[in-house]
Amino acid sequence: MLNRFLKLVAWSMAGAAILAAAACAGSSSAPNAAAGADGHAPFTMGVIHVGSKTDAGYNQAHAEAAAVVQRNLPYVKVLEAENIAENADVSRVIENMISQGAKFIVPASFGYLDPGLDVASKHPDVMFDHPAGFKQADNFHTFWATSDQQSYALGIAAGKMTKTNKLGFIGGFKIPNVIDTINAFTLGARSVNPKAEMHVIFDNTWSDPGKEAASTNALADQGVDVITMIVDSPITIVQTAEQRGIYSVGFHSTEVQKYAPKGWISGIGFTWGGFLTREIQSIEKGTWKSNPKNLLGDLNTDMVTLAPWGPAVPNDVKTMVEAKIADFKAGKAQVFTGPVKDNKGSVKIPAGQKGDPSLVNTIDWFVEGVIGQGS
Amino acid sequence: MSSVVTLSKPFYSRFSRHRDTLLAAGAPIVIALVGFAIVLEAYGKSPIATYRDVLQGTFGSVRGFTEVLVIMIPLMFCALAVAIPARIGMLNVGAEGQLYIGAIFAAYVPLNWPGLRLQFMLPLMTLAGFLGGGLWAGLSGYLRAKGLLSEVLSTLLLNSVAGFGLQYLVFGVWHDPNSSNFPQSKPYPEAAVLPHIGSGRLHIGFMLALAGVALFWFVLQKTRWGYEMRAIGGNPEAARRSGIPISWYIVLLFVIGGGIAGIGGMAETSAIQGRLRPGFSSSYGYIGFLISWMSAHNPVLIVVMSFLLAVITSGRDVLQITQNLPGAAVNILMALILFVVLARRGRKPEET
Amino acid sequence: MSTSFFEGVLSSAALSGTSILYATVGEVIGERSGIVNLGLEGVMLVGAVIGFVVTAETGNPYVGVLAAALAGATFNMIFAYLVVTRRGNQLASGLALMFFALGLTAIIGKSYVGKPIGGLKDTPIPGLANLPQIGHALFEKDLLVYSVIPVAIAAWLLLYRTSWGLRMRAVGEDKTVAFAAGLKPHRLQYQALFVAGLLGGIGGGHLSIAYTKTWQEGMTAGAGFIAVGLVIFAAWSPIRAILGAVLFGGAVAVQLQLQARGSNVSPFLLDMIPYVVVLVVLMLFGRVKGRVVPAGLKNVFEGTG
Repeated sequence: MLNRFLKLVAWSMAGAAILAAAACAGSSSAPNAAAGADGHAPFTMGVIHVGSKTDAGYNQAHAEAAAVVQRNLPYVKVLEAENIAENADVSRVIENMISQGAKFIVPASFGYLDPGLDVASKHPDVMFDHPAGFKQADNFHTFWATSDQQSYALGIAAGKMTKTNKLGFIGGFKIPNVIDTINAFTLGARSVNPKAEMHVIFDNTWSDPGKEAASTNALADQGVDVITMIVDSPITIVQTAEQRGIYSVGFHSTEVQKYAPKGWISGIGFTWGGFLTREIQSIEKGTWKSNPKNLLGDLNTDMVTLAPWGPAVPNDVKTMVEAKIADFKAGKAQVFTGPVKDNKGSVKIPAGQKGDPSLVNTIDWFVEGVIGQGS
Repeated sequence: MSSVVTLSKPFYSRFSRHRDTLLAAGAPIVIALVGFAIVLEAYGKSPIATYRDVLQGTFGSVRGFTEVLVIMIPLMFCALAVAIPARIGMLNVGAEGQLYIGAIFAAYVPLNWPGLRLQFMLPLMTLAGFLGGGLWAGLSGYLRAKGLLSEVLSTLLLNSVAGFGLQYLVFGVWHDPNSSNFPQSKPYPEAAVLPHIGSGRLHIGFMLALAGVALFWFVLQKTRWGYEMRAIGGNPEAARRSGIPISWYIVLLFVIGGGIAGIGGMAETSAIQGRLRPGFSSSYGYIGFLISWMSAHNPVLIVVMSFLLAVITSGRDVLQITQNLPGAAVNILMALILFVVLARRGRKPEET
Repeated sequence: MSTSFFEGVLSSAALSGTSILYATVGEVIGERSGIVNLGLEGVMLVGAVIGFVVTAETGNPYVGVLAAALAGATFNMIFAYLVVTRRGNQLASGLALMFFALGLTAIIGKSYVGKPIGGLKDTPIPGLANLPQIGHALFEKDLLVYSVIPVAIAAWLLLYRTSWGLRMRAVGEDKTVAFAAGLKPHRLQYQALFVAGLLGGIGGGHLSIAYTKTWQEGMTAGAGFIAVGLVIFAAWSPIRAILGAVLFGGAVAVQLQLQARGSNVSPFLLDMIPYVVVLVVLMLFGRVKGRVVPAGLKNVFEGTG
């Protein structure tokens, strides 16, 4: 049997060598796009997704952005990879894209930050834009868009529409971004309904339909009747909420309404297409490095939208929310306006003061009204 | 299972079966490639273009080739972890868990003594990794030796426990305060990172793994222990009667096998990840089991099969990026090879 | 509509335990005939994806569940061919099957990720649903949850009260003796694996059609392996398997319900508990259970089969 397997050795190596030779001799898939319709110099961009492009959530938002870029700049070749784990695997994928000529990489997941920085340090001529990261380098910028203002406004809707005064939140990881959103939502709800409480569950993963379904049910069992979330794909939570007959507020993509025709309130959506287009153009012009290293888009940019209202939302609620959004846009209102206490009773933002915008990247406490500090 | 053929067989008898063995060896790979090609066609992708892209990605560039070698490293460690106990008929399905525990034990060193110099740090980490994996597997070996619990079950269950243990640590006491609640440990200091070979991600873990393979071969073929092990594997009853201490061997081999997997865990986290993160293994333990099994637990073949499976695994990225297929689809190719080998092997009644 | 902790845990356990229980009962039948299927995870995945796809295409979750069952059974026939006809190594074949399913289901499901399906709705049982403490937890669920315990009981009856079951167990104890007695071991094993595949497929289907109403690559997340472990915990009895599934489902549930109520216990330690319990139970009663193991399986667990 041993010699048979030695033959396996010889055969497979020979076979591989022959095939490899044939492959190299044959025409290869061109790493760069053919010159575009207008003869523009080719440009390759790479996007790495942690989940599926059709998840009606985080990944879909980035995929749609890539599609917008493709529409705006037809000569750009977009390389995409899905379901890449949040560890050093992603370095391999990024290197692969760079070897295919990518000059702009969007590693679209929080956990890609460290491996991404690592690869960026080895390729100073490739630009990186990382969503919601908190560390930067010369060729590695981070971006996100404010979500706490919309969360606050939608919290108002939740506060008005809840009948049990119990709101629920399911989060992936307890990172400041997520805490910030939870706080904003709670503050908004309590601004119109001081009895509202927010129950929080952290699943410790950005995507696990089983856990999300279980968490939604657990919250519904607790009496929660408005649920919102930050997980990669809201589909499971929203569908389960619909099944339990409770309201839902979406996050990441505005496509989620179709999963909850009755219970949908509204949702926050991110539209990165315009931003990414501008980034590519500034790379081509050579001005990218002087762009802000950490860009936080606000309500007045094209990076955020609100989903359409669901049928259950009363008109007076709509008016209140829209008015609040207008106030935020005009700078007339702030999410964290003192006095703000945390849920252990101490005052975190004294009366008369306003919260610092950088809180979104650093906050680690929950406001009063939030039950359960997660784990 | 037919016992290991010693290398003292005269050379000429090998060449006389030249044609048959060539067919037998090539068949699984060819059949698998054809089968996978059918699947690709069914989804509208050209198999030729796909295979060509994969080969180009793996053999067409230095970077691509080193990535294949990088994947080989944990596969070889895990295959060894399975092969060593398998020599006496023990089934270690727990390389996955042993990998994790080894990584955990190894992480203890840089996380608690970050100032250590490289000459002390790395050997200590390696030792710690061996200790961790060895203890974890040793537990299963002990349970089996005492007739308390089949090692198949205990290693399988302990895999899950190890995974949760790792998560518990990186979410809890070992969590990096600068990672804003994302589950990972602090990054390892430079002294704790295994040196790399060349400019890619290839690291000396590769040498360690090959050394392990060589040592295994040597012990198996050239020492009295190796002879005793082969005797047990061939006929446990006869071995027992001739005075070979089977229980002792069971525990020992599990400890060594698990220890090797533990070193593999240390190597992966040290050289590739640079810190402790949950889920850093892409089923290496289970693929290692299949590699070892396909190689009849033979050290040389383990290297070959690890290479083959590493090539297939690196095809994931190509599938994803150029063919817009899920990377997981490469598992189909791997499984088809296995199916053919399994179907052929089992035909002989005396085979395992 | 706030529920007590107990009720919340029971409710969660019923939901998450159902798919595992189906798979476990199926595996009990398979192992009773002498075959260990480490690829159960793959069977569940196939059931999940086909069930989801068919539900999405036809709009009918019942057809989806049926499809999931048939898909699981068909898929398990590959395994049956390898280990029964070809006498391949059971453990390796099972693992190979699992990898095959991982890849196949990823491809099949890719274009269906994100499709909304009505899914299998909860159908509350009037009257019973209003019972205090257990009403909502047990009687406001979907049909598959209601059916799982009857199915487990039916499996027990099948194994212990029918001649088919008797023949099957004879094959599981000793194939050679069974053959000598005039039984057809191979055919019986194929049949057992077919049934096991049906149940495993339903388990997977429940996950995608009823529980989460989504599809995602690899979404079973180890449920198949848990089921294999539970079979041993249940000492190869479908009735005791119910207890095992409740234990597992309950552990998951406790952790989430605790969080929802604001407490702070580490979820991972809680997750570990069921596995440790199974290990300890197996160790303590190993010698006792040694007499309970279908003799035919001894070969598989001791590396000679």
